[in-house]
Order: sequence, then C-alpha cells, then structure tokens
Amino acid sequence: MSCSNFDWNAYALGEMDAGARREAETHASACAACREELAATRLTLDALSVLHEVEPPRRIAFVSDKVFEPRWWTRVAETFLKPSFAGALVIALAILVHAFARPAVDQKQVEAIVARAVADTQDRYESQLKAVIADYEDIQKQNRLMYIQNTGLIRQ
Amino acid sequence: MIFREVEDRDLIAKAKRGEVEAYNLLVSRWERRVYSYLFRLVRHREDAMDLSQDVFLKAYQNLPKLDDPARFAAWLFRIAHNEAFSLLRRRRPETDLSEPGHVDRGPAMLPIELSLAVEGALHRLSEDQREAVLLKVYQGFKFEEMADVLGCPVSTVKSRLYTALDLLKATLAPALLPQEMRRGES
Repeated sequence: MSCSNFDWNAYALGEMDAGARREAETHASACAACREELAATRLTLDALSVLHEVEPPRRIAFVSDKVFEPRWWTRVAETFLKPSFAGALVIALAILVHAFARPAVDQKQVEAIVARAVADTQDRYESQLKAVIADYEDIQKQNRLMYIQNTGLIRQ
Repeated sequence: MIFREVEDRDLIAKAKRGEVEAYNLLVSRWERRVYSYLFRLVRHREDAMDLSQDVFLKAYQNLPKLDDPARFAAWLFRIAHNEAFSLLRRRRPETDLSEPGHVDRGPAMLPIELSLAVEGALHRLSEDQREAVLLKVYQGFKFEEMADVLGCPVSTVKSRLYTALDLLKATLAPALLPQEMRRGES
C-alpha cells in the first residue's frame, strides 16, 4: 500500500479503528517518511496539550440565582397560560356575560303567574275542605241513625 | 468518563423534570470546559464569561428539546458555537482579530515559552480552523460529534482540522525543533 493511503492525522487523533491502526503501524515500521510525518503530528499535538483549561473568572450563575428568574411579564404570561387559571377565568367570564346579557324580567307576567299559582292553591284548598266537611257530615248522619236504632231496641 | 456520562444523563433527566439543583450541578460540571472553549475562540475574558452565561441559560430553556441525553455534550457545544459565532460576526467589522495586540492571554503556564508559542499559533488560525482544533484536541469530540456541533459534514470538519494542524506544525516548528534537538543531545 502506498503512503497516500494512510491518514496519519486520523491515526494520531485516535479516529482510526483497530484494523486500520494495525495496517498503518505495519506500514510505518517500514516507511521512514510516514514515521516522520506521524512524529511531526504527534509533536504538534503534544505541544498543544501544554495549554490547560481556563478557569472562569467567576462562577456561572445558577438557575436558582436572580439572573435566571423570569421577568415580571413572563411570570404574568405563564400564570395566564396555566390550564387551571384559564379554566377559572372562562367560568368567571361566562357568569359575568350571563349576568349582563340575560333578558329583562316582565313584572306583569310575573304577577300573573303568581296570581294563577295563588288561585290554584286556593281552589285546591277549598275543594279539599269541602270533601272533609262532607265526610264529617256523613259520619254524623250514620252516628245519629245508629243512636235511633239502638234507642228503639232498648225500648222494646 | 463513563460514570460521568451516566451521572450527566441522570442529572439531565432530573433537570427535565424541573429539579433546579440537578441543572445547577450540570452547570458546575461543564462551566470550565465551555468557558475554556469560548475564551480560546473569542479571546476575551468578559465576552467569554457573558457567552458562557447565555449558553447555560439557553441550554436550560431548551433542555426539554434534547431527545438523547447521551448527546448532551455535542448539543451544549452546538449552542456555545452558535453564541460564539454570533458574537464574532457582530464584532468583525470593528476588530481585526489577527492583531497580536488584541490577544487576551490566559494565566501563565509552564513551560511559558511553549505556552505562549502555542497560544500565538492558535490565534493565527482562522476562527473555523481554531474551533476545529479546540473541539478535537481540547474537548475530545469525535469527527461525527464535531459535525453535529458545527452543523457541517464530516469531510468539512476534517478539512478544517487537517489544514489547521498543518499550519500549527509549520508555525510551531521553530519552537519545537530546538527542544527536540536538546532532547537528542541529552
């Protein structure tokens, strides 16, 4: 295999699978130019490794910190978008609309309905009273007859 | 690394359920890596700090959209990449990034000459090339993950990275060769 088939950057950066690595190593053991190229890449990567991570000058603000708190309009918007709040709002609006939009009451109509109800109740009461009186009179009549019959028997 | 991934997955699940402390812990774990990446990319401490803050805020807001917690690192760096390049695009007309005078160096590191040479060499790369090196060499992403972070094909990722490595080899050769020669002599 020729030298151009080997990606020494990928090899040095750990991006080759085990099979390809073995092939590359076999080739490098017999090819001075490829060994030199690989050495130069490794040297550069080693040099880059002298730079370490940089410490932030101060810590990143946490979610619980003030900086992450939502602004007042966000909080208001979130409150209005909550299902429970929205549901309560719809019900309240419906009650309000109904209170203002229901038809006006006709006073004469109400008086007529009340008068009819009173008259019905009175009629019902009177007929029930008449029935009770009639029943009472029947019982009295029967009692009188029984008395007369009994008195006659005693005399005999 | 495997344990860390497992724990991150657990923290992500908890944070998605609204456990704020779980997300705070994720921030503490990733803030150094994200800040380092942003600092080396934008080369300004305060800008890197502000960007880091924005990255973690956006990540928190968009966490429910993260379907696969195993891809959290690439997803987080994708947000960081977008934030950094948004700033670089805004900044470009006023600032010539290639000027050495604008370099905001990190804390001094030993061996100091080599550190300065590496920082200088990195800053001479284009933003795209430098970012490829940062993601591969300093953050350890695979080519496929880098493609996700950068939103481009793997072939583009390799092209940027290999060009950057060639340039770094050429730039750092004077700083590296004497060391090698000294090693050979001893």
